[in-house]
Amino acid sequence: MAESSPPRSHLYSSQWASPGQRSTASDFLYEDRNSEARHKALLEKARREHERVRKNAEAEYQDYLRREEQRRLEEERSREEERIRREEQLAAERRRLAELKAKKVEIPSEPVSEPPKASPQQTKAAVLPATASQPSQPTSTSTPRRAPVTQSGGTSTPALTPVKPAAASTAIAKPSPATPAGNPFASAAKANPWATSTKPPSSSPFAQGAQQQSPFAAASKEAKPNPFATTSTTTTPQTNGIAVAQSAATPAPRLPTAPDRYQTIHKNLKDLRKSMLAQTKTNPALKARMGDMRREVRKCVGQLVNGAPGAGQNKTQILNIKGLLREALLNGAQSQLVDPSLVVLEPREPVEGAVHNDPQLPSIFLYMLNIFAKAIISQFVNEASAKPDTADAVGVVAASVFADREFQWRGKSLIDILLAKFRVVCPVVFGHFGNEKFEEGRRQLGWHREGDQWVSEQQHSDRMTGLGAGYAAIALRNFSKSKMSHPFPPSNYWTAMARIINTAPPDISNTQAMVLRAMIQGSEHKFLEAYGNAGLAALRLALVEFPAKAPTKSPYINALAMHAQMLAKETGLRLM
Amino acid sequence: MFRLETPVYPAEGYSSRLWTRTQKQQPVTVEIRPHFRDIQSQAYFIVLTSIATFVTMASLASRITNPADQQPSQTDDAANTPVATATDSLAPPQEEGSNSQGLVESHYDVEVKLSDLQNDTHSPLYSVSNFEDLNLPQEIMNGLLAMNYRKPSKIQEKALPLMLADPPQNMIAQSQSGTGKTGAFVLAVLSRIDLSKPDQPQALILAPSRELARQIQGVIQSIGQFCTNLRVEVAIPGIVPRGQGIKGSAIVGTPGTVMDLIRRRQFDVSQLKLLVIDEADNMLDQQGLGDQCVRVKKMLPPNIQILLFSATFPDHVMTYAERFAPNAHQMKLRQQELTVKGISQMYMDCPDQNQKYDVLCKLYGLMTIGSSVIFVKTRESANIIQQRMEADGHKVSALHGAYEGVNRDALLDDFRSGRSKVLITTNVLARGIDVSSVSMVINYDIPMKGRGDSEPDYETYLHRIGRTGRFGRVGVSISFVYDKKSYDALSQIAEHFGIDLIQLSPDDWDETEQKVKEVLKSARAKPEYAPASIKA
Repeated sequence: MAESSPPRSHLYSSQWASPGQRSTASDFLYEDRNSEARHKALLEKARREHERVRKNAEAEYQDYLRREEQRRLEEERSREEERIRREEQLAAERRRLAELKAKKVEIPSEPVSEPPKASPQQTKAAVLPATASQPSQPTSTSTPRRAPVTQSGGTSTPALTPVKPAAASTAIAKPSPATPAGNPFASAAKANPWATSTKPPSSSPFAQGAQQQSPFAAASKEAKPNPFATTSTTTTPQTNGIAVAQSAATPAPRLPTAPDRYQTIHKNLKDLRKSMLAQTKTNPALKARMGDMRREVRKCVGQLVNGAPGAGQNKTQILNIKGLLREALLNGAQSQLVDPSLVVLEPREPVEGAVHNDPQLPSIFLYMLNIFAKAIISQFVNEASAKPDTADAVGVVAASVFADREFQWRGKSLIDILLAKFRVVCPVVFGHFGNEKFEEGRRQLGWHREGDQWVSEQQHSDRMTGLGAGYAAIALRNFSKSKMSHPFPPSNYWTAMARIINTAPPDISNTQAMVLRAMIQGSEHKFLEAYGNAGLAALRLALVEFPAKAPTKSPYINALAMHAQMLAKETGLRLM
Repeated sequence: MFRLETPVYPAEGYSSRLWTRTQKQQPVTVEIRPHFRDIQSQAYFIVLTSIATFVTMASLASRITNPADQQPSQTDDAANTPVATATDSLAPPQEEGSNSQGLVESHYDVEVKLSDLQNDTHSPLYSVSNFEDLNLPQEIMNGLLAMNYRKPSKIQEKALPLMLADPPQNMIAQSQSGTGKTGAFVLAVLSRIDLSKPDQPQALILAPSRELARQIQGVIQSIGQFCTNLRVEVAIPGIVPRGQGIKGSAIVGTPGTVMDLIRRRQFDVSQLKLLVIDEADNMLDQQGLGDQCVRVKKMLPPNIQILLFSATFPDHVMTYAERFAPNAHQMKLRQQELTVKGISQMYMDCPDQNQKYDVLCKLYGLMTIGSSVIFVKTRESANIIQQRMEADGHKVSALHGAYEGVNRDALLDDFRSGRSKVLITTNVLARGIDVSSVSMVINYDIPMKGRGDSEPDYETYLHRIGRTGRFGRVGVSISFVYDKKSYDALSQIAEHFGIDLIQLSPDDWDETEQKVKEVLKSARAKPEYAPASIKA
């Protein structure tokens, strides 16, 4: 065989190495065609050919995989786009529906014509100037019907009538009947055991009406859950930002009630502080300690600094704050016990495994949480206003303290105390809007007053900057590696952003631009971390489309567009 | 020649009048009246020598009426009656665009449309309430937007057109701390330099300390971040490598280093158009720096435009300044207007020297504090306080002359970035340093000067407390007194500037806390408190 043949010179074999040039015939005729060298050369050739084919096949296979992956991504993208489009459509529909509802509202209100109501409604007139003039709408037949229904429910005062349609509208979307939802607040108030707070509710329906007048707030609330509720369809209400803090049982009615409840909580907290002061008059042990504890918390919040995550630069402060809260829980100074329902959004039932299930907690504890919340807000207003990135450290501590089970009540955090303050100082993140040129509008936007005058525009802008940054610092926290759950998860941030962005162009105010920019600036990475591509789309809406649709291009609006440019310049993130 | 004098009121409530006199004895009264509030006390004068350029300037010309036809009688020497007659109005009351407070307040009860005046583009007041009206290049406008500058402050609004007019003219400008002086001259610098020559020095800015020089460099770079080819360099010790020249369109430096560089021919001054001296009173007064500044100036082109800025210009320095920058436009403040209304000034009555430490730590619980600066007299007490405060949980930087260049930079950077929130320092940093989040300044020791610290240092007090209340924000200054000497010194300072200092006592902290709260509230609610600021 091959071995028997004498080896040929390397010269030959090298000739065979390039066989392409010779014809097949000459191959046969060649005398040493059966030589070992030739044999090897052919084998080599075959091997190479084999390799080539294999390589091609492999490349083809890789290519196929890539194409497959691309197709999958494309499909996914188109599915996402389709979903977003549908959700946007739905949002638009809802908004339109809400608008129609709001318009219809006017019809009952005219006959009722209540003098006390008039003042809050003026805002509505400002918002929707055309409403009164065009009372008849194609859909009007359905809504009038609904309005009477809720009225027949009976509990509602006439004052509530304008509100109801909107509430009813939310109810329509759900399978549940409209009757209980008709006046959610009233029912909630009835159910609630906290007697003191029932007085405020009586007034709050009015305020609630005022809020409800802004149909966009409601509409956007409906709209925004969708974009990030990838898994669930739009009918599920629990995707709402505030869901975490609330029970899912009464989702639809909650939306309108929430803002007012916060104001009530805010008022209750004020009363609480007054009562604490009164207690110190008779309780020397409390007096001796309370002031020091208060100042200690304030100092600790003021000491927080930014640094590398996990570096523990604020450890002492956190320990200190938690220590003070624990001391308050122990209630060594014998402060009175109070019902925490006064300061939470919704009544709570005892929960298995919760650290505190009692119907009452020491008032000093709630007071200290309140002082803590005040210190946080004040730090945002006084420090983050000048240097927004300082909000981050405060946000971390705020989220982690409220998330701590020790300081929760019946299984949920008491962060409503902090949110109530937020609601008062920065209402735009709760979907409120107004015209800065009007007294009432400024009030709705949370424009601060000192004495009996408004603070300057610049101070206002500073405040909003600090509070916007603070809101982001609290909400955009990643708790995925933590054993605790986020007391105010990022969905709230999305909600707030959506509420601002979805403001109808004529209602867009500088305040919203201030807050929006502050919410975004410096928090982009955390936001994108939480929401990925959807976040990108949201940023585009906020920084490109929102300023574009604003009717007046004030420096504040322009600053939003400028921020998009800055992002492109500094991070390469192009939103345009 | 014309002589023209204007009282201009800081902040929004100013009302003022420009007086001119021609050689023909034709009196021209020029009035600037945005709105009529609180005219009596807050005057500040612009003395303008050379009116020629001034009258032609569009932004101001729009506010100038010629009252010769209306009020021919007011021809007295303007200098003697700066404010007295300013109340009778020649122009309709105007609302100041930069601060819409006034109108909102006046229609307090119901929703009233407030901005008729604001929307009226024909209103003379409308003029320079926006940066847009200053006709700055788009790149600079973008930089301002990115920096959160929204509206020009008084000093910017007034001084900028004067600085940018052609032919260039010198200027001496005074404005309270934290009202945007740096912003004003940075805008002038950026507008004057030719960006196509990035390596050719065209503007020189002198500052008294390396920290301030670096800070100014930072401001130029931030406002000019959209200007392509902008090169700004600092000439401070330890930064410029020996044997290598300094190149950049704008150079910021301390006088000594700049002088050395020019002498070594490492700094081409041939095409410098602009010389800015920040903290000019300090720079021209102090023996060393004043001398150096004069020498630097002698090496510069003779026709260079000179701009002098400071919050304080004591009289004896003013004469220097006028010689240094001949024929200059001047914007001056009265002594009583020097303090910033947004800063609540208090003093703490400490029982004795040793208890100052404990009192100091307690202060941080009384109110919400962002960052704070503590001024002490000696390095030793700085170090001791640092230890005490760190034990109390504070993140502290102590910065004084014991540290050298780069270390000082790092310490201040920590403070600027918020990694440390308490800065303990000596007078090194009394001036100019702008950290916007500083909400409290503590005079742990009252600033003194003279042989054996015999007299209070008024200017330093003012510059120290000016580290807070930046850009119309609120701030608190607390001065510690513990014996007769410190008490007397502080009283003299208060008298000098006409300040009402509020006493705090360390006996009952609950009470003190309440008092501070009220002081802060009322300070902000004061009608005359109005931020003359731009930064939003």
